[in-house]
Amino acid sequence: MGSLLLIAMVLIPAPAALAAGMSHGFNQLLDAVVRIDVREADFEGGGRRFEASIGSGVLLSSDGLILTNAHVASPRAVEITITLASLERVSAKLVGWDHWTDLALLRLDMNDVKKRRLKLTHGEFGDSEKLYAGETVYAVGTPFGLTRTVTRGIISNSNRYFEDDNGVDGYETGAFNTWLQTDAAINPGNSGGPLVTEDGRIVGITSRAYLGANNLGFAIPVNVAKVIVAGLVQSGTITRSYIGLVPKALQDFEAFFSLALDTGMLIDSVDPGSPAARAGLAGGDILLAIGGKAIDGRFPERLPPIQNLIASQPVGANLTLTIKRGAQVRDVTVVTEKLESSVGEEWVLDAWGFSVRKVSRTFARVNQLPDDTGVLVIGIQPGFPADTAGLEAGDIVTKIDEKPLTSLDVIKAAHAAYIDKPAPTLFEAVRDRRISLFILKP
Amino acid sequence: MKFIPGWNSAALSALLLLCGGLARAADIPALWAERVKCAVAIEYFTETESERRTTVAYGTVIDNAGTIILPPGAIDSHVPPSQLKEFKIFLPGDPVNATGVYLGQDAFTGWHFVRAEAKVRARLVPVTAFAAAGRSPVPVLDEEVWGIGLRPLEEDFTPYILTSHVALIQSLPQRTGEAQQEVAGPGLPVFNRAGVFIGLALNSGTQQYMLYSQMNRGGAPVLLVDVEESSLFHLADEVLPNLGRIPKNIDGRPLAWLGADGLEPMDRDVANFLNLGDQSGAVVSEVLEGSPAEKAGMKDHDIIIAIDGKPLPVFRPNRFVTDYVDREIERRHPGDVMALTVLRGSDRVPISATLGEEPTLIREARRKYFERIGFTAREFVYGDAIERRIKVGQSAGVVVHYVKPNTPAAIAGLQPDDWIKEIDGVTTGTFAEAVDQLTSIEADPFRAEFVLLVSRGGDTAVLRVKLK
Repeated sequence: MGSLLLIAMVLIPAPAALAAGMSHGFNQLLDAVVRIDVREADFEGGGRRFEASIGSGVLLSSDGLILTNAHVASPRAVEITITLASLERVSAKLVGWDHWTDLALLRLDMNDVKKRRLKLTHGEFGDSEKLYAGETVYAVGTPFGLTRTVTRGIISNSNRYFEDDNGVDGYETGAFNTWLQTDAAINPGNSGGPLVTEDGRIVGITSRAYLGANNLGFAIPVNVAKVIVAGLVQSGTITRSYIGLVPKALQDFEAFFSLALDTGMLIDSVDPGSPAARAGLAGGDILLAIGGKAIDGRFPERLPPIQNLIASQPVGANLTLTIKRGAQVRDVTVVTEKLESSVGEEWVLDAWGFSVRKVSRTFARVNQLPDDTGVLVIGIQPGFPADTAGLEAGDIVTKIDEKPLTSLDVIKAAHAAYIDKPAPTLFEAVRDRRISLFILKP
Repeated sequence: MKFIPGWNSAALSALLLLCGGLARAADIPALWAERVKCAVAIEYFTETESERRTTVAYGTVIDNAGTIILPPGAIDSHVPPSQLKEFKIFLPGDPVNATGVYLGQDAFTGWHFVRAEAKVRARLVPVTAFAAAGRSPVPVLDEEVWGIGLRPLEEDFTPYILTSHVALIQSLPQRTGEAQQEVAGPGLPVFNRAGVFIGLALNSGTQQYMLYSQMNRGGAPVLLVDVEESSLFHLADEVLPNLGRIPKNIDGRPLAWLGADGLEPMDRDVANFLNLGDQSGAVVSEVLEGSPAEKAGMKDHDIIIAIDGKPLPVFRPNRFVTDYVDREIERRHPGDVMALTVLRGSDRVPISATLGEEPTLIREARRKYFERIGFTAREFVYGDAIERRIKVGQSAGVVVHYVKPNTPAAIAGLQPDDWIKEIDGVTTGTFAEAVDQLTSIEADPFRAEFVLLVSRGGDTAVLRVKLK
């Protein structure tokens, strides 16, 4: 009787729910979607300024974890305020971020939540692998600040490949995953909100849309997010391996390289100084297998999984690559390195009136600098010593008082010394490969 | 009648002044009419793979052999001389033109030299005919100076007169006069009231006018640099001693070479900081591989502070110090010894460099256009190796100079400045070998595609060029 009643309870209200509203799961999901207000430091003006933005997110657990986009909440954030479905506001902290997948994880101030006895509802992950083109999906978020807006559409493509040159505030993104494409209306502010199926299961995190196009929106598949969330919960960061290969789809090149279809990946370029370069690999080589596992990079859509396979190796591991050059096939071993962004750490030197970003190894390679010495000037405050001396955004300061800037600490120390005892300071900077000297004086 | 003492003398001086004015009015037109004969207009074409561009410039006749000098900006020095075609010489106000031959550019003055065909030479008068014997007079402040202007081609380059007064004389680094208004067409001579040659007007680049498009009335203004009249002129003593620098060949060789690249001016604050006092300096960004500077022991980051024991002068603005150093090199010859003093850290280091011959320039590089593929390949030269930061000896192959839109090369994604490292999997050898290989690909009617490996900004790219 009891079980029958239970079945009846589930069964009978269901048609009613369809007629009168969405599924229970969907309603629960709605309660898990939050608005995120972020105030973040902006270094590009040369001073310490703050910018405010609004995004969306979804609660993942009863202990206050919120999943959103990396471009909503980054380490630059100084204040994160969450508006729950109950309209109550609670502050949150960044647990970690991963710009490569454009995902970030936040945690609510649980002491505050408990103190105020706020009730948290969290969403449930679905399976993005099972999505099919034409399947109905809903995007929930805060477009233009309109809290908990639901829009409806379909999956337009479940395996979209695109490269985003703009990345996440200048940070690289997208190399390791394909995207879900949807025609559910996605507007600014939707970022970080969930894309869900009719039962309210999260299948993606809406992230971007073509501006000026009609309903071409993109979301990170939740199966990618699951891995990132687990990694961020565990260590607050996602570590990837790097060997320095730039891939290209083999499509149309098979005959030239005497390859069967669906075999191997074309190496378009090898980063100078990278593990692959040291192992003798070069552009025009074919990568046939990684660790003995045959790979297939015939189409662009097949490249992100290969990139991800390399990236998910442990850092410092020996990786055997099977390489074809001309008619020769050989195995080479590369030792993986930690993948680094080209965007280094940023800092403001208030007394001098400029802001900098450390030159990273990747930035140095991309810009063909001899090494990673120096800091990139990203902003200048008008009227301050750096501006008066003629320093410009884009300059790379390599030395201060003849001391090479091997780390951000060197310039921070020089700046502190200047504040302590202001005196003319000699800067050496490189602009378009030209060396200039500047005196920054009080 | 009341006698007013002194009235007569005052009237007399007024009359004298009037006569002076009249004498001047009668005088200058005659001087002008005579001096117009040393001014010409030049028209030439720049012929590239895809277009022909016309350029008009003004020049001054310098000798009885019909040699004409054009200011540095009259011809883009990156354009290979082989692309400069059909030099025409127009005498002011005369619709008929004569042909001219391009002789090349002199590195020191920057002048381009053109020689008029024999039949018009008799109608030309060299500017030297109006020069002072010995040192040329240097105009004083507010002195009246005048020059020749030429109307556009549609008006047969009708000559006219421009008159102004001297506002300032500066070293930039040449001694340069600045008039209060435009005083001559760029490249044309400037005279004093007595008709003595006192300077040569240069491409000013300083006069800008708001110009509104005829096609888009009420639209945004188009900012235009006036190239037809200039208020700047190099003083005669910067001009006359250099008239003999007629290039011996179209490439302007020999070219003296030091190989201290990327010179950057040092400002006064830096000089003070380095206890250099009231002198100037130039920072060497890069000592080029295999260059005379490298052989003489110069290092990156050295600051050149003296040449031949003479401290580098201070210029306003200080950026002209690098032009000064460049000119010190350019006025010498390969084989000359150049004594420099550089500041390295806190040490003054003497450098004695034997100048060499400038390596092949990009404008001199051999080129070949492949019509069917749709691009121009150019020889890889010294500057290409420097730009790409590779060892000079390792370099080989060809660089893409031009890609014609919508051709197989363009569709494949080939871009200008791509360095072709492999053609069909074969490492590119010399320019001649690469040309042979590309020629045979292009000549093969059955060839459907070929593959290039190019280097681009430190990365490589594999490109498939579809011919069918």
